Formats: sequence, C-alpha cells, structure tokens
Amino acid sequence: MSDDNKVIAEARESFGKGAARKIRAAGKIPAVIYGHGTDPQHVTLPGHQMLLIVRKANQIITLDIAGTEQLVLVKDVQRDPVLSIIEHIDLVVVRKGEKVTVDVPVVLEGESAPGTISNLDANSISLEVSATDIPERVVVSVEGLAEGVQISAADLELPTGATLLSDPETLIVAISTPSGPSSDDEAADAASAEAGAEAGVDSE
Amino acid sequence: MLIPRRVKHRKQHRPVRTGQATGGTKVSFGEFGIQAMTPAYVTNRQIESARIAMTRHIKRGGKVWINIYPDRPLTKKPAETRMGSGKGSPEWWVANVKPGRVLFEVAGVDETLAREALTRAIHKLPLKARIIKREEGDA
Repeated sequence: MSDDNKVIAEARESFGKGAARKIRAAGKIPAVIYGHGTDPQHVTLPGHQMLLIVRKANQIITLDIAGTEQLVLVKDVQRDPVLSIIEHIDLVVVRKGEKVTVDVPVVLEGESAPGTISNLDANSISLEVSATDIPERVVVSVEGLAEGVQISAADLELPTGATLLSDPETLIVAISTPSGPSSDDEAADAASAEAGAEAGVDSE
Repeated sequence: MLIPRRVKHRKQHRPVRTGQATGGTKVSFGEFGIQAMTPAYVTNRQIESARIAMTRHIKRGGKVWINIYPDRPLTKKPAETRMGSGKGSPEWWVANVKPGRVLFEVAGVDETLAREALTRAIHKLPLKARIIKREEGDA
C-alpha cells in the first residue's frame, strides 16, 4: 500500500445538491469524514487526484484539512454510471495500528492445465488487517491446476497479520473444462443460415 | 429464448423509459461487460442473438453472464384493424434497459477476444453501448 496518498482537503460550509453541483463543476469532489465517534466533517477534495487514488481498493489517505493531518480510509465511492464521474466519497477515520475490516480483491495468477479454464467465483474476500498495512490484493496461483480442483477461502495464503472474516468454505476458484457450443447455438445457427438462404443472402 | 414461465398480468402498460439505471451498473461477475448508454426495450430475441454472437466468437473457454431478463410483455394490434375493441395481444417480451445498466459480462478470455466478442454482441442490440472493465476499486 503506498504511503504517498497525501491530499489537501478544504472544509465545506455549504451543503445540498446545489452546492455539491457547484463543487463538481469546479472539478472537485464533495466528501464526508466520519468514524470513531467524531462528528461528521464535510470536505471538498481535488477531483483528478482522487480519481487516480480510488482506482485501487481500500486506499489509505492522509488528509490535510487546514493544516491538521487526518488518516482516513476510503469507505464508499458514489459514481455516475453513465458519465463515469465521482459524485461523492465517504471516508472513515482510522488510527495507526488499528484493525479494520476491508474487502480485498482476489487476483488469479498463472494458467491452469491445458484445456481447462479457471472460474473466479468470489472477486473479493473480507479480511481484518492493520489499517496501515492493507494488502492491495490477494493473489491465487492456478498454475497447472487440473480439472475439478476447487480453492476455498480457507486455502488462501493470506498476507501476514491478516485474519479471514469471510466464510472459510466460500468457493474462490474452480477449475473446469469449458463446454462447446450448446444445441441451442447450433439450432440458431441452422435457423439463421436457412433464413439467409431464403432471403438470397450467402451465409459465411 | 428467455421467456417468463408464468405472469400475474398477461398485458401490462408500457414500461417507463426515463431515468438512469440505479442498480446493476458495475461489472459484478466477470471481467468485462457491456454497459448501455441509451434506454431501450431489449427483446428476448435480441438477447439470444447477442448471446449467440458472443459465445460463437469465444468458442471454447470463457464464461458469459446475462444480467437482464425480458419480463415485460409488449402488445400489438393486428395490421389494418380499427381502433378500439380492447388492447392488442402480447407480441414481444422485453427487458426495460436504462442508461448505465450492465447487460452482459464475460470472463475467462483475454482482453482482445473479450472486446471483439462483446462488440459483436453490441451490434445485435437496439441501443448505444460501451465495453467496461472491472476495476479493483469496485470490489
């Protein structure tokens, strides 16, 4: 996890959709900080810098709010699904050495045995880790694994200091042999070829 | 083809086409997906056609998810019929797709093949769409 996520935040005094829209129009992102029994604090963050930071999961950020440094964890990001812009960010206060619960992405590495495919069933697992030592991802090697092999959450090699919170029996990866085109596909192919011939169109 | 087994009302009002999708806007199961950019009624025939275009291109290997279901009936009056005499008979089954909705997802194939397969599927759909990739931050 990189430690260079230093962001200068401005305290926010104006609220509501009108104020939020003005902030977004200025290329910034409205955000809220909460946690540890503190009062919610409304801030404005730089848009482009935050866009780059939140591309990775579970980023820890050192916020500089009017000279005061605050360690926060990205809790939730609201995006516009069509415009792909960040509308709002939720940040949760964390303290160094504190344990936090995070969903860490699972990434496959290597190629399974020839003729098989690896199906990633769970894209992330829930871990309890130190706030300043959150792993970027959990890597699962499927190199040379044969058909029928299943890897569950309990089989994963977790980073040091991490505790698994997900169900240990959760299926993470299953190696299977892909099926060929189904009978439906073949029937549809035949139907389309027939329709093409009737219309005087040459099929491929 | 996807078709509901049993429905409460055989003839329904036309689904609302305004607004954006509020859920199902991220790639949740696979690695790549098709995201709608415009609203549309996607029929079960179009969904099937897109699925076949994709699976035929991928051939063996890979996995395809269909995230939409055509559960809304649309009716049509017969040609050259005078107005009145009640609502027409159900003609199509459609999924009411709004901008932002992820329609199909694929996994288990390399990026070039996945993009080509999804492009072929987009050509079968009555809407503008783009291909999106799962981001780690989405986990």
